[in-house]
Amino acid sequence: MNTFLQLVVNGLGKGAVFALLALGFVIIFKATEVVNFAHGSLVLFGGYLVVVTKDALGWAGASLAGIVSAGLLGLLVERLLLSRSRHADANSLALLTIGVDVIITEEIVRRLGVTLPFLGDAWDAKPFRLGGITLFRTHLVALGVAAVLITAFWLAFKYSNWGVAMRAQAENREAAALMGIRSSRVTATAWVVAGLLAGVAVLFIATQDFSGAGLSRGTHSIALAAFPAAILGGLDSTAGAVVGGLVVGLVEALSAQYVSFDFSKSAVFLVMLVVLVVRPSGLFGTRERTRV
Amino acid sequence: MKRTHLAAALVAVLVLSACSTKAGDSGSSGSDSSGVKTGKGVTATEVTLGVMTDKSGVFKNLGLGVTQGNELWAKDFNAAGGVCGRQVKLEEVDHGYKADTAKTLYPQIEPKVLGFVQLLGSPVVAALKQNLASDKTTAAPASWSSELLDNPYVMIVGTTYDLEIIDGLSYLQEQGLVKDGDTIGHIYIDGEYGKNGLRGSQFYAKKHSLTLKEVKITSTDSDLTNVVTGLKGAGVKAIVLTTTPTQTGSTVGANKALGLNVPVLGNNPTFDPALLKSPAAGALDKLTIVASSVPFSADLPKAKDVAAKYKAAYKETPNGGVPYGYAVGEVWGAVLKKACDNKDLTREGIAAALKQTTSASTDNLVAALDFSKPGTPATRQVYAATPDASAEGGVKYVKPLFEAPEAKEYVAPHQK
Amino acid sequence: MSDQAVSEVDTPPPAAEPPREARRGPARLVRKAAWLALLVVLLALPLYLDAAWLKAGQYMMIGAVGAIGLTLVVGQAGQLSLAHAFFLLAGGTAYTVLSGPTGDERVAGFGLDPGLSLLGAVVVAALLGLAFAPVAGRLRGIYLGVASLALVFLGLYFGQSAEELTGGTSTGRTPASFSLFGFPFTNDGPEISLLGVPIRQAERMWYLFLLLTVLAFVIARGAVRGRVGRSWRAVRDNEAAAAVMGVSVLRAKAGAFAVSSAYGGLAGAMTVLWFDILKPDESEFGTYGINVSIAYLAMVIIGGLGSVPGALVGALIVNGLPQVLALYSADLGWFSGTGDGALTPILVSSFVYGAAIVLVVLFEPGGLAAIGRRLTRLRRQPPEES
Repeated sequence: MNTFLQLVVNGLGKGAVFALLALGFVIIFKATEVVNFAHGSLVLFGGYLVVVTKDALGWAGASLAGIVSAGLLGLLVERLLLSRSRHADANSLALLTIGVDVIITEEIVRRLGVTLPFLGDAWDAKPFRLGGITLFRTHLVALGVAAVLITAFWLAFKYSNWGVAMRAQAENREAAALMGIRSSRVTATAWVVAGLLAGVAVLFIATQDFSGAGLSRGTHSIALAAFPAAILGGLDSTAGAVVGGLVVGLVEALSAQYVSFDFSKSAVFLVMLVVLVVRPSGLFGTRERTRV
Repeated sequence: MKRTHLAAALVAVLVLSACSTKAGDSGSSGSDSSGVKTGKGVTATEVTLGVMTDKSGVFKNLGLGVTQGNELWAKDFNAAGGVCGRQVKLEEVDHGYKADTAKTLYPQIEPKVLGFVQLLGSPVVAALKQNLASDKTTAAPASWSSELLDNPYVMIVGTTYDLEIIDGLSYLQEQGLVKDGDTIGHIYIDGEYGKNGLRGSQFYAKKHSLTLKEVKITSTDSDLTNVVTGLKGAGVKAIVLTTTPTQTGSTVGANKALGLNVPVLGNNPTFDPALLKSPAAGALDKLTIVASSVPFSADLPKAKDVAAKYKAAYKETPNGGVPYGYAVGEVWGAVLKKACDNKDLTREGIAAALKQTTSASTDNLVAALDFSKPGTPATRQVYAATPDASAEGGVKYVKPLFEAPEAKEYVAPHQK
Repeated sequence: MSDQAVSEVDTPPPAAEPPREARRGPARLVRKAAWLALLVVLLALPLYLDAAWLKAGQYMMIGAVGAIGLTLVVGQAGQLSLAHAFFLLAGGTAYTVLSGPTGDERVAGFGLDPGLSLLGAVVVAALLGLAFAPVAGRLRGIYLGVASLALVFLGLYFGQSAEELTGGTSTGRTPASFSLFGFPFTNDGPEISLLGVPIRQAERMWYLFLLLTVLAFVIARGAVRGRVGRSWRAVRDNEAAAAVMGVSVLRAKAGAFAVSSAYGGLAGAMTVLWFDILKPDESEFGTYGINVSIAYLAMVIIGGLGSVPGALVGALIVNGLPQVLALYSADLGWFSGTGDGALTPILVSSFVYGAAIVLVVLFEPGGLAAIGRRLTRLRRQPPEES
């Protein structure tokens, strides 16, 4: 029983971070219908900025710098590349993000060399035991931060001008434009927010507790887990992103023990596949209906 | 209509015939004035050995260290007179740890070399396995899997992974940390390296009635907390690792955090001095490392000599690859000298000389090596060490070269 | 790809069949002559190039075959697939198992003739593609893309666990060397020379791969221009309209997947022949990993979605550049920096094709094929015939 509880704790903790990643992903999709294959490089970029500014600014300042720069990178990608591609449709833009991802990831990995910097100084490797269970501080802080950010985002989404504008644009782009909603501003903000969330996520991912490794190509692969999380929740559902993230974390932890560790990677994608076959737009995604 | 086709074809043919074909490329065999047979990679003044290493990929640190060790050896060897009046030259290429690049680079380097003093990377070695056999090229892969020993052209300088684990488990038992009938766990990467180590622990477990919990992982998994959670639930008294250093860090970290606190055994590739600066540093006291090639900072005359020469020649931070690379060079030196005595410096001559090498000495950089029995590992001895931040190279000895009785009985996969 | 609710951006007409008027008249002859000249050059190259360059060229041909298949399903039928690496593994494993020796205790084999095994590998891959098609039928656009990624992970798991078939990740297994009607494509067998150049393994494999690539190209071209291609494009552009016109959407999608996986299977068999070993990967990045799926997608994007000649050029760039740079750098000492942060052939090639993807989408979403069409249109002005 202890093992099971420990696994659940591990899984939920990691799930919170996957939820943050998936949320950023979904925000971009809702605003632009573009699937951002470059999300992993936003994560890496934020982490890299933390590494290079750590000596000058200390961990706290560097973390802030990392978060902000990830947001700025998102903005840059959107302004310089995506908005310029006037005659490309959403799917081609998704393919463009693949190209962007390759370039940014390779460059950052090249600069990191063989160093594996760990980024979670404030909470990493300081576990404490409660009963027979070990609670990793990184996971707990991540859960807390994720809860705060997700709630804040949800409130903004429901009540703020930007949130309303984004929902309007997601519903019907042309009508929203006619109503005076500046589509470029909505899109740009979406990318910035996604970048900020990625910058926050990396502070939890590149830790001993979460991934056992510092900032490296592996961090990018972990961000890949955002895909099944967002997809199985439904690409245009923020609630789905959160649920998806938690599901992915739990599936990974439980299948590692109860099936086999090497199956756990496939297990996540398999679960996603099963969900998709039953509900092709994800658990909470809006169904597309074609009437002939 | 047809005319355009003909015209185009003719133009192409004319252009091509203007360049010369590669017909008439001859081989390079023969004998020299003192009756020594020579072949590819050997001229009147030079013997060329190949180095296919990783200078830019995931193992570039190790690759650099081994290459530098090779270079230091070549310099010393040439200073001592070389072999058969010839100096050794190293031809180095970088495959970046990618099997497809290595496969394409091989035909480019192969005609120029007598053999390979370094072949780094198990996917590379696997991809080139057939080529080595068909070209009869003797190579020293930087991989210690006994599965490679079915190829008579492979020279493994050191103890193979399976035997390292057997020796290591024997050491743990000798220290009272493991008893007959205990449950132990083995986390291994599903591949040439990890699986070979598993073979060793399976053998040892059977001999001592240990229950072995095997956990298969991939080379890119980095968080093993869930695995250690499971092993804790199974009540293991020790964990064996054939993993990467990152994975070792995650294991020892989880070992401590979850309150398991059992001894952890790893072989040579599981440790990297960088771990001493990672968040897992505080948990490394439970780790024992067994290896057949000495750490950079070993307190042995030859190791100290190599270390001094290294520091004079290179600026990078040294690692265990340096003494290993030097040791491989020394073995090649012994084989070359024997081939020279046999008056046969061809590829076949090298292979024959290798078989005759019953005791290649590397001045204890690696245990004494016996290559005369194909399919059998050349040595079964290891050193035991623990991580130590104050030692150069990051480890300090706890037991000098030894061979466990179980290791003597073990039959390697291709042992006849 | 299908299902756009309202698209206010004007998408250029995606790759269709070459316009009618270009198929007759002098332009057609010029094109045919150009292809013929290319063929002659390719046939003659083994007489001039060393084994290392031939090896690199063969690797580009593997890419070409795979890319042609992928461009059919992604560009012509509009189904985003990231599963190509899985079909490579399937084809390579099928070839090795079918042609493997029957008596081996470690691994399974059927002892079939290599030529038959090659065919068998293609069929097996096609069947697997067909098996995935119902899933593809239910999913749209990017959902399909990510779902197809699941196949790559399944392939990784299968490669590791089905050791009697794949040989396992620690040693793999050796595939039977290829022979056709008893003629071996290795250094054994009859000694042949062409113009004084001995035709040995590297040269023979070159001709074999060239034959397979040409076949792949011709068949794909035929499919694109024929009924099959039209039904694919109809499904891609508007599924509902296609259904109304009487195209069986499910059958078209299933067919596209089967064909593309057949090509992937062929490329996979060529891969194990090229490496002389079948060795499943140790992680999701390797010979049959996600990186390979992305590389093939890159080939297809750069070449132009749906364009078969474009896929060839894309393969040349993505598969060829790292090989060529590595060979040159070994010769000329370029990129020989060591230690941290060095620029290497692999890195440079990755930057090039990443940038190529970005540039293509930004400026010419039709890829190199569209650029090619634009150039030929420019040259034909003023028109010589109406």
